[in-house]
Amino acid sequence: MKGIPTVLITVSPEVSAQMRPPRALYPNGFKVGNSLGGPGMRELQRKVLWDALGLLRENIAPGKVVNRDYPEYSRYYEPPRVRS
Amino acid sequence: MTRGSAAFFMSISRKCVPFTPFDGELERSTVAIVTAGGVHLKEQEPFNIADELGDLGYRTIPEDVESAQLKVTHHHYDHSDADKDINVVFPIDVLRELQADGLIKGVARKHIGYMGYTMQLKAMYEGTAHEIANEIDKGSRADVVVLTGG
Repeated sequence: MKGIPTVLITVSPEVSAQMRPPRALYPNGFKVGNSLGGPGMRELQRKVLWDALGLLRENIAPGKVVNRDYPEYSRYYEPPRVRS
Repeated sequence: MTRGSAAFFMSISRKCVPFTPFDGELERSTVAIVTAGGVHLKEQEPFNIADELGDLGYRTIPEDVESAQLKVTHHHYDHSDADKDINVVFPIDVLRELQADGLIKGVARKHIGYMGYTMQLKAMYEGTAHEIANEIDKGSRADVVVLTGG
């Protein structure tokens, strides 16, 4: 039986990585509840979705979570900084 | 996490990665969405958030759904943004834009929403996951699946 290729968009990369998904994208800094970005941020949502689909064409190692930066997301949400 | 579930969890992660190559072209591909973000049609029975073990069910979402027909029922993440714009976890309108621009062939006939949160890992892994895979495999005509959490 032939499977169907999948790609995961995760905002919990440490948890997702433990399950070794075949393809996974973590938009850096995106909070839980914002897998594709913030509400109404259509251009960003499109960019994230298209990058996720793009992993299907890339020769990435199965089981690894790919990180990508989307600076425009910081206009909506900044993750809390940990004091050193 | 109990010792038993941790052992089960570790046994899953040691297995091979379930990888299916993508041999096609995105512009000729139909895409389905499967989300663990608790998305469902407003007219469907909501997921049971009173069940402390988590709801193992799933809901099928049709191809022609309007985003305004969808809602989130989930108590393990802040879905206030999804309440305003479902596309943050279930990018159906975004997918349609990609289709309109010819970047993908189409939107699948069927999509899936489920809760994801569960304390019944074995039942989720051996039951619900298989049922969702069968729904997508047999009824969606999907060439590719995009998975999201919350």
